[in-house]
Amino acid sequence: MNKARELRAHRRGILHDEKLTERLMITPAIIALAVISIFPLLYMLYISMFDYSMSVNNPTFVGFQNWARVLKSKTFWACWKRTGYIAGIGISVQMVLGIAVALLIYRLPKGQNVILTLFMLPVFVAPIVAGLLGRFLLNSTYGFYSWILSTFFGYSEELFANPTGAVIGIVAIDVWEWTPLVTMIVLAGLQSMDLEVLEAASIDGASYLAKLRYVIFPLASRTILVALLIRSMDILRYVDTITIITEGGPADATRTSGYYLMQTAFRFQNFGQAAVMGIIMIAVISVLGKLFIRLMGRGVM
Amino acid sequence: MKKDLSRLLSLLLCLLLTLGAFSAVCAEEALVDAPFEGLVEGLPAIQAPEGFDWRQFEGTTINFISENTTPSTAIAANIDLFERVTGIKVVIEQADLNAVIEKVGLDVNARTAKYQVAYLDPQQIMAKNKDNFIDLNKFNNDPTLPHVPGGLEDFFESQMMCCGYMGDTDKLLALPYDNATIILGYRADVFENETYKKAFMDEYGYDWTPNPDMTWDQYYEVAAYITREAAAGNITEVKYGCGMQAKQHDSLMCEFSCVLAANGGDYFQAENLGSIGAYNPGPAALDSEVAIESAAFYKKLYGVADPSSTSWDWSGLAEGYAAGNLAMICEWHEFSADFENPSKSQVVGKTKWTITPKGTVRNACIYGGTGIGISAYATEEEQKAAWLFLVWATSPQTQYLCLTSESGGSTPTRYSVYALPDVARGISDPDSEEAAKMPNLKSSGAVQLAWATENSYLRPKIPAWPQCDTIIYTELSKMLVGSLSPEDAMRSANEQLNELTGN
Amino acid sequence: MSKGRKKGAGSTKKLVLNIVLYIIAVFLVLWSVLPILWMAISSLKVSTNMFTLPPQFIFRPELGTYKYMFTQAGFGKFLANSLIASISSTLVALFIGSLGGYALCRGRFKRQKDISFWIISTRMAPIPAVILPLYMIFSRLRMVGTMPGLVFAYTTFNLPFALWMMMAFFADVSPALEEAARVDGTSKFGAFLRIALPAASPGLAATGVLCMMFAWNDYVFASALSGASTQTIPIAASLLVTQTGIAWGQAMATGTIIVMPMLLGGLLMRKYLVKGFSMGAVK
Repeated sequence: MNKARELRAHRRGILHDEKLTERLMITPAIIALAVISIFPLLYMLYISMFDYSMSVNNPTFVGFQNWARVLKSKTFWACWKRTGYIAGIGISVQMVLGIAVALLIYRLPKGQNVILTLFMLPVFVAPIVAGLLGRFLLNSTYGFYSWILSTFFGYSEELFANPTGAVIGIVAIDVWEWTPLVTMIVLAGLQSMDLEVLEAASIDGASYLAKLRYVIFPLASRTILVALLIRSMDILRYVDTITIITEGGPADATRTSGYYLMQTAFRFQNFGQAAVMGIIMIAVISVLGKLFIRLMGRGVM
Repeated sequence: MKKDLSRLLSLLLCLLLTLGAFSAVCAEEALVDAPFEGLVEGLPAIQAPEGFDWRQFEGTTINFISENTTPSTAIAANIDLFERVTGIKVVIEQADLNAVIEKVGLDVNARTAKYQVAYLDPQQIMAKNKDNFIDLNKFNNDPTLPHVPGGLEDFFESQMMCCGYMGDTDKLLALPYDNATIILGYRADVFENETYKKAFMDEYGYDWTPNPDMTWDQYYEVAAYITREAAAGNITEVKYGCGMQAKQHDSLMCEFSCVLAANGGDYFQAENLGSIGAYNPGPAALDSEVAIESAAFYKKLYGVADPSSTSWDWSGLAEGYAAGNLAMICEWHEFSADFENPSKSQVVGKTKWTITPKGTVRNACIYGGTGIGISAYATEEEQKAAWLFLVWATSPQTQYLCLTSESGGSTPTRYSVYALPDVARGISDPDSEEAAKMPNLKSSGAVQLAWATENSYLRPKIPAWPQCDTIIYTELSKMLVGSLSPEDAMRSANEQLNELTGN
Repeated sequence: MSKGRKKGAGSTKKLVLNIVLYIIAVFLVLWSVLPILWMAISSLKVSTNMFTLPPQFIFRPELGTYKYMFTQAGFGKFLANSLIASISSTLVALFIGSLGGYALCRGRFKRQKDISFWIISTRMAPIPAVILPLYMIFSRLRMVGTMPGLVFAYTTFNLPFALWMMMAFFADVSPALEEAARVDGTSKFGAFLRIALPAASPGLAATGVLCMMFAWNDYVFASALSGASTQTIPIAASLLVTQTGIAWGQAMATGTIIVMPMLLGGLLMRKYLVKGFSMGAVK
């Protein structure tokens, strides 16, 4: 009887100890995250010191040789250069298009929600399905879209058969899937804007372009930045469509560093070099992430 | 006294000999046919020592990972025949080859034996994993277990060498399981059209029908002619003379090999890399005149092929052909069943097959067969259960069963199956009832010709092959659609191969 | 007078502009929706009229492909696996994520910024670089190819996401109510459970839908870590790409099955998703 009461008092004591409660609440998350992130990183550092090229499970210790090999490899740098270029095109198109669509929807007097809802559907499509769908629609033998291209635009070649076409195709699928995301974020930013400033600008009789330049962009710049950075971080890891459609070709036109990493790890089973590439990629994405957080400024952070 | 002794000794010797002979006969007689379905007369039966308990591993589960090819589909469709007799549960996981390579690699790396039985692609999986799969001789020579029916000599010899061993013949790593081979398929309705045939004859002075003596130059000439005439509307059945599997993909290297090897070239200077394999291939051979000329020819051929070819791997090429666009293709023979399947093909009954064209030296059909082996990390019991599965899955009777099954099935890897009268008839007469029942036989005549040592090509079997392969097809792809000249492409590939293998 | 005319001209101009804007909007919607629609339509065709060009718009829809998939191809099993894996990992992520997210939002930890960045950075790593070490852990624990293994793998990307999201959603809940409750003697945990959590429930739902979606759509993790008996629908989709070509009818039907529930969930949660997709960074 006494004991039970003591226990209850004790338990209440714990729950009332704010700091302890907070610690307890966050502990499972920290433990889980440690397993998820710290161990893999350490493990990758470890295996980056081993050469797996002759055996999958009996590697030889080679010190920093993998690092030297990767950093000296022309293919590796070519893949990064290409990644920059493909990501650059992809992101510019998505940003311009996404912002334009957001502005357009924002200007619609009615039906903003319906239009946005329908427009954003591709965001929910699984990447593997998007890849298969792209391959199906753009196949020159039976694809619906390639039929449209050849019937109405006179383009009857197989898109993925030449380097330029393949880059366009891969980028187009990414644009299709992720432009709506940019639109969603930017539109949210627009809708949360201070209307008084806009009204004031309207009364001043400013032209639309001037309003855009001097009022809307400065106000929405933060959201635009968010969209930009999320997309850049994601596009660097982008491999699904490439795996399903082009497998890096033709003529290496779509072999991005993410795909090269997949190849090295799974096809060549050169786990040591793959670890090096993985760590480098994590570093690049982390820098981008830091930038993202820095630019976000205060807020939750 | 001495005489007596010698007499006694000789008597003893006689007795021993008789006993020996008797026991040998007994041993022969003590082998008992296994209770599996599908045995027909003329095939070596699956046998086990008398009293062998086929159900001793009842309740064991065997996970088998395989590429999603027709042979595996056929095995999966018939697996209950095995399970019913042995009580062993076989879970067949099918995936595309890259996923199989990934999964086997991860499994072996962790030494978990999640897959007790694996599809050991000789070049892309087996070469790097010699220590991770058991020596099957151990079981095949164990008197208490069933053995490979018909013996190892019933497998095609070159396939046994390629799929079974790595580096030396001491350790038997896998039993031949499938045997895809690239041969030449063509549209009989186009080539046997008398008007077309005559028109070509008038212009070029030879019969254009593909045959084992057709050269690559003629193949190019015919393809160019058909592409031109189809564009002019004179040939209406097809749109292009040929298609290629020229995507930046393994398929590109495979097809190019048929040209390179036909001209007497290879990827490395060392010999026998394809059959027995080696750990270090030595210096590469792609900076040779032959390699550069072959590459130049391959590029020239692309000029008259369906331009979609650079986006096609073997399945893309097959789709293009099945849609009726192409007159000739060099393709894995396993597709022949698909071309006869009305739900997949618009060219049913129109395809004939022969071996790939001759180069300056010979015909060279690339062989892409694979064996299945048993993980070294599985338990003893699992390994033995897996051995029963291997014996059954690669046996002549199961192969015959698969050949006649609805799911298409494989091309047998056994001499004995081809010796069966109905199989032989199906091969010799493509219009026979047997050929209709076993659509894979349509290409079997050509395939058998392709397997003759002088007509077949085996890729280098070296641990670094997946990466070498990637270097080769990437440079070739740059040559086809990029700005690289054949010479630069070959030199660049050569340099990278040497750097990779340390030569 | 002149002012009125100007206004009239302006409104005509405005009307024309609006019409133009709506036409563009319709095109945009078509651009987004047509591929998905085409996929659904194709899945209802039989293979003989699937590949004909010009494409057939009018045909008799057939459910044969679906019927085949569920009766013969064992599709129900894939579907069940996908459901179990994605729902379980979502629940785990929501549970740990809301606890941790609340603590991070309300608590005062040293180096809180670094912890937050660390959380989100665990989600940014390239997947292939994470799979090998994960596989090592799993194989030691004999979890490769099992359902708990898959659930855990999904939690690796869903948990950081849920933490981050819930942190942002709790920040939107005014602490005043909780403080009032605390004065009345409710424990800190009680305040979380009875006041903060219900207030953040729309956020919880949105986080749940997105976690569900990430797990449901995953292909790369499942392809390495699932076994024959735990394959999910995206794996089923990839299996249709075989050595001898793609079974397009089934591929389109599979795609439709994968996409439809997510579209539905997305539509229901539309309002909260912007925040989700921007990982809670937009306020």
